[in-house]
Amino acid sequence: MLKEGMDIIDAHFKNEGVSRRDAIKMFGAGGAAMLMGSGATTELNASSSAVKAKILIVGGGLAGMSTAARFANSLDNPDITVLEPTSTSTSYQPGQTLVGAGIWEASDVTYQRDNFVPSGVTLIKEKAVEFDPENNTVKTSGGKTLKYDYMVIAAGLKLDFAKIEGLGISDTITTRGDDSEVRKVVGKNGITSIYFANGAADTWTEMQKFIASAKSGKKVKGLFTHPNTPIKCGGAPKKIMYLTDARLREAGARDNAELTFLPNGSKMFGVKEYHDAIVNQFEARDFKWNYRHNLVAVDPVKKVATFNRHWKEKGAWDEDLEEYSIVPRSEKVEKEFDFLHITPPMKAAEEIANSPVGSAKGWVPVKKETLQHVKFPNVFALGDIAAVPMGKTGGSARKQYKVVVDNIIALMEGKEFTSFYEGYTVCPLITSIGTVMLAEFNWTKKPTPSFPLDPTQERWIWWLLKVYALKPMTQYGMLSGRA
Amino acid sequence: MKKTTIVMLATATLFGLSGCGNDTPSSSEAKVYSKTATEVYTQSCKKCHGDNAEGIVKKKAPALNDRQAGELELDLYDVKNGGTNQSSGTDHDIMEHNMQKLLDKGYDYDPKAMAEYIEKNFYKKDAPKAAVKIVKEAATEVVEEVKAVEVPTEVKETTEKVVKIVKEATTEIVEEVKAVEVPTEVKEVVAH
Repeated sequence: MLKEGMDIIDAHFKNEGVSRRDAIKMFGAGGAAMLMGSGATTELNASSSAVKAKILIVGGGLAGMSTAARFANSLDNPDITVLEPTSTSTSYQPGQTLVGAGIWEASDVTYQRDNFVPSGVTLIKEKAVEFDPENNTVKTSGGKTLKYDYMVIAAGLKLDFAKIEGLGISDTITTRGDDSEVRKVVGKNGITSIYFANGAADTWTEMQKFIASAKSGKKVKGLFTHPNTPIKCGGAPKKIMYLTDARLREAGARDNAELTFLPNGSKMFGVKEYHDAIVNQFEARDFKWNYRHNLVAVDPVKKVATFNRHWKEKGAWDEDLEEYSIVPRSEKVEKEFDFLHITPPMKAAEEIANSPVGSAKGWVPVKKETLQHVKFPNVFALGDIAAVPMGKTGGSARKQYKVVVDNIIALMEGKEFTSFYEGYTVCPLITSIGTVMLAEFNWTKKPTPSFPLDPTQERWIWWLLKVYALKPMTQYGMLSGRA
Repeated sequence: MKKTTIVMLATATLFGLSGCGNDTPSSSEAKVYSKTATEVYTQSCKKCHGDNAEGIVKKKAPALNDRQAGELELDLYDVKNGGTNQSSGTDHDIMEHNMQKLLDKGYDYDPKAMAEYIEKNFYKKDAPKAAVKIVKEAATEVVEEVKAVEVPTEVKETTEKVVKIVKEATTEIVEEVKAVEVPTEVKEVVAH
């Protein structure tokens, strides 16, 4: 069986001009460890530290809980507290696109927080509501005042559907937790969003109606938005479009549907190579797209979405700039839809944004390589809440939590920082059912492939990686602080 | 069953690969800039952002002296790259355009070096805090002095003396606050 498996991989790599010898070198010992079912432990700290300190981690999602686990693995006398109010905080968010397209069930991505609390770590089921970094204390929703020596902020972000008019939504929500107000309108009448867990399940219900309508011969329109704020998983707004396309083709109904991508920005991807690849994929699938369109309102009854279309015009000559100045222009544009996928605006929670640890834009400002707060040396941040360019993905968090733990331990031991984040992000861009483009990149804005393969190609092996390997790697490798 | 096993083997092998911990090597070499951050700032940026990065309202150029280097670097990164997300666009639509023109004119810079230069030379975040602190301390002093004055109830002189002390102290405070170089809007807040 092992041979058969290897043969398939061999054949694939042979086509790419990679020899088995190179492939084995690439695979390393980790593969064998996984095959033995023992879990790769290659990243475990070689030495543990005897230094004692009180560590507070705000947020017990993927970033926070992995950080807690690595601290627990690395310290002889761990004194670690995690603040996390949501019981399913350790769920597998990257799977929500697959749930939205009916490939996975909602239960495939739901994981209970309490099963992922590393031993030796104290969990407080409350959230942080007040930060006093001058005095190293945090107040919780239950009225506790917690003192810390080091604080890690991994509080995630809020989905701000309230910014979109006409939906009747007044407050922000998180991916997991109470979404009752949003779910009254999003997940119904063709209005969908995979960005919250229940929304992902509802997306599949609505998508099936959309496909049935197209199959019945009706000409239908699908719109896919991307807001003007930083978002987590920058690829998801496109992935759900690719999957809608795949499902329509599967049903033989693609010709009756017009699919349009409407992003606020003016490109598909910050890395030129990936931008070009995506444009080619869009053309090959007969997608339409209009840049510089920001969703501002939805009429759920009439099924009309309103966008702020914006552009620049040449203004007067500017002597200081020695150029013509630029005047921003905008207008409202209405578009009818049968199916609308909303990627909501996203922001930092108010209690963090408005606290001394927040910034003008809300996100916690950190030095982007060390992830240390710009003002408070004993405060670090990672994951979606950190003001780090491009960093709001699970793949980034996977690199970041090690940097945070290593650097805090270095601080505790009075040593120099040796661990630096380089901006690595990975976007396994699902381009159909069965293919993925594995877009890996960092702050150099160049593709940084982990494999010696052309990273701009859609491949079935990355589909296997996305659908079979990344979830166990995340849930059992990363959340135990080992991968 | 057999097919599933093969799939699992293939993915397990990939898992091993992803898990083997070799951090992605940086694919670019360190970029060389023809001008230093100081040169770019003094030759170009200051025309619109001001001699002390205080911002010039008329030029619609915001202050850059209200953020520390780490935070400022992210903004400069956003400006130079036209956004940091796949399709979100940028927070600095106009400056992104202008920046491209300035890059063409040779005003390229390392965002980190520029952010550090601006923080080192112009950062004023603590200015309003310092001013408030001076005011508070001075006010406390006045109160103490007033308290220290023994007031023989019927003596008008003493009352006048107290008023004088308060007035002088207040003038001093105002002078001290004025002496602190702060952006105008901060001054307004403090004065308020």
